[in-house]
Amino acid sequence: MSAPLLDVRDLVVTFPTRRSEVTVVDRLSFSLESGEIAGIVGESGAGKSTAVLAMLGLVRHGGRIAGGEVLFDGRDLLSLPREELRHVRGSQIAMITQNPRQSLHPMLKIGRQISTAYRSHNQATRPEGMRKAVSMLEMVGINDAERRVTAFPHELSGGMAQRTLIAMALSSGPRLLVADEPTSGLDVTIQAQVLDEMWDTVQETGSAVLIVTQDLGIIANYCDRVLVVEKGRNIEDAPTRKFFRAPEQDYSRRILSLQRQEKLPEPEESHGSEQPLISVQGLGKEYILEGGEVLTAVSGADFEIYRGRTLGVVGESGSGKTTVGMTLLRLTEPTTGGVLVDAEPIGEIPLSAFRNYRSRLQVVFQDPFDALNPRWSVHRLLREPLDLHTKLTAADKRERIGEIMDMIGLPRTLGAVTTRQLSAGQQQRVSIGRALITDPDFVVLDEPTSALPPAARAEIITLLAELQRKLGIAYLYISHDLTTVEYLCHDVAVMYLSQIVEHGTRSQVFEDPQHPYSRALLASHLFQDPDQRRIDREIRETLTGEIPSPVDLPTGCYLASRCPEAVPECRERPQTLETLPDGRKIRCWRITEGDLVW
Amino acid sequence: MTARQEHPAAAQRNILLWVGLAIVATSLLLAVFGEVLSPYSPVMPTGNISTPPSAQHWFGTDATGLDIFSRVISAPRTDVTIALAAAGLSLVAGSLIGLVAGFYRGSLSELIMRVSDVIQSFPVFILAMILVALSGRSTFNLVLALAFLYTPIFIRLTRAEVLSQRSRTYVQSARAIGASELRISFRHVLPNSLAPALIQASVVIGWGILLTAGLSFIGAGVRPPTPEWGLMISKGANSIILGEWWPSVFPGLAISLTVFGFAAVGNALERAYR
Repeated sequence: MSAPLLDVRDLVVTFPTRRSEVTVVDRLSFSLESGEIAGIVGESGAGKSTAVLAMLGLVRHGGRIAGGEVLFDGRDLLSLPREELRHVRGSQIAMITQNPRQSLHPMLKIGRQISTAYRSHNQATRPEGMRKAVSMLEMVGINDAERRVTAFPHELSGGMAQRTLIAMALSSGPRLLVADEPTSGLDVTIQAQVLDEMWDTVQETGSAVLIVTQDLGIIANYCDRVLVVEKGRNIEDAPTRKFFRAPEQDYSRRILSLQRQEKLPEPEESHGSEQPLISVQGLGKEYILEGGEVLTAVSGADFEIYRGRTLGVVGESGSGKTTVGMTLLRLTEPTTGGVLVDAEPIGEIPLSAFRNYRSRLQVVFQDPFDALNPRWSVHRLLREPLDLHTKLTAADKRERIGEIMDMIGLPRTLGAVTTRQLSAGQQQRVSIGRALITDPDFVVLDEPTSALPPAARAEIITLLAELQRKLGIAYLYISHDLTTVEYLCHDVAVMYLSQIVEHGTRSQVFEDPQHPYSRALLASHLFQDPDQRRIDREIRETLTGEIPSPVDLPTGCYLASRCPEAVPECRERPQTLETLPDGRKIRCWRITEGDLVW
Repeated sequence: MTARQEHPAAAQRNILLWVGLAIVATSLLLAVFGEVLSPYSPVMPTGNISTPPSAQHWFGTDATGLDIFSRVISAPRTDVTIALAAAGLSLVAGSLIGLVAGFYRGSLSELIMRVSDVIQSFPVFILAMILVALSGRSTFNLVLALAFLYTPIFIRLTRAEVLSQRSRTYVQSARAIGASELRISFRHVLPNSLAPALIQASVVIGWGILLTAGLSFIGAGVRPPTPEWGLMISKGANSIILGEWWPSVFPGLAISLTVFGFAAVGNALERAYR
């Protein structure tokens, strides 16, 4: 076998601090063949990004490359003269970063930016550069590339900006593409489109790709090999399939723990006679924008939640998931419809009296650091709900706080520290403790894991499931991460552009989705299973285009503009949520009237 | 590896902070012990009229025979105390009003901000003069006038921070567990919004010293023969033309140094906070 394209040997990167030096990348070694796609996973702060930057001879301000070699095509990049390194970096190694919009120059048209990048490494005239830009944009799947080259970055959506960066990176035909969290912040349908385009493109060009990510779905679906980085060290280097089947390291087993666990047992169907804990009827929320336009966040939501069960609400950003959760808690007031808790309409309770009611209805937010007062100790944060809702003595409160800390798996010794000193996973545990300390019947979980690193993500989901079994709480689990939804939820509601489009049990929605949007969403989701890779499918179902604005919604079906199954009637006819014989609800006339059968 | 490596600019800032702190500490100490430490009484003529600096009178004496050194180190009791009181008062008032203006948006908030605009649109010195003239020339009125002038600064700073804090999720989280708006604003938002105002306070104390001295210089501040820097400069100004520089220059230096000290501390705190 010939020498590998990239061969990293004992790479060390250090950052000096006040007292000593922190080693961020510690003797990291690996190699990459041409045409190979490798993924680097690890916790935030494990040194992944620093390591890939160092491979290009770059270090963030203050740090230095303290040792090692990066052999690219047999030459050590770290000992190359600057000018030569710069040339290699643009023409043979290209990089895609996260935050695509920030990586583009805001005042230059994108065509010119691609053309400039291309011409700085290739002999080409301006018109040639422009033609290259158009063809690159076409290659990464941007429609109407001729017109798009004259767009400014702010005119592009996040997905388009990321594709533009990929086009720019690939314009010189690099032999190695380094992508640092290339799709974080993009919605799943867009993520699938972007990654598919990238995958197809590198298949054509034979480039090697190195993807830094925290998303095991991306690894399972697109990568041939996995490198696990912990504390700057490469602790595992395995082919993807082997990694998912039999991870060797303890850390790898932790991040894969959800995949390796049994799913929740399918709940018995017989909640029929039982009274629902939460009953939502015709819930709608509209915002009047400046200029009098109406933004519809939620329209016509109907659903029930039963004691001890979890309803998952899934959908892309802007679909109204969070607004539904916030109206259930009266953190926003609905425009139409209402919420019944134990058959009592909570909308009729005056807001000042409703404060006492809040101990029963709780919430856990997405970003635990932002959701906890940064100046307060863990103990004080956990005590606040008790101060507000109970008349316990100080000693009883301490006792209860101790109990809850045991329950959420936080050592009691951490009571005195502020949240800044805790890891993201521990912070989220405090949030959960604060929600549970008053023994609520119902908790809204608003993306509780999406701000967490992979290991903490799996642990928090397991904890939430365990607490539900123990305490019989009902959850509304809002998430775009279908992997966690599948693990935690009994019922699932799929939302698109303010409406619930499909609502059924987990197995109905996950195993046999009916609504075209549910189907596309599930197909776009990167399940963490290397045996069902998206790129191996005959037809990679997804949606074209992007989510339309929730201002001035169409009269007909909201999905019609993106739906592959749309017929002219869809654009005219308002859609209603109808019940199918198997009990699930669907908002698509073609399905409910039997016009479309999968 | 264990050697302390510091950026030269950071080291320079550190020096600035320490110099500032030393000056601030000295001025505070003198505000308390200045009169005790002074070799002569700051208000009793020594009999030696207009003598230049010497071993006997380090900073010389003025036209009425008062010892300049004793007066310079006794003055902080007036200048620093007035500035401290005014800054403290405006800090408390400003951050409370700023909290209300930022947390409860509405017509009251608008009114508060427009009134602040009006106060801040006047030249500080002129407005201070008018206020003291209207309310009468006393130390207490001087403090009130200064506090009134500086309150809008703290309103603005606190309000801006409150506006950014109140959109943070912990506020929503407190609401979700049933905390009242009053509790949320005072227990959660206010403590998290105070830092910019506290940092600015140091700078405002410096301005307060300058303004007190300025008002006294034109005769709108404290009454003679109180040891006060502005008053001393004003009294000595007449004799500069005769070549007697010392009655004005030493109190002038004292003002510059003190204002610089407070500003340096404020500056360093601001950088540390960012």
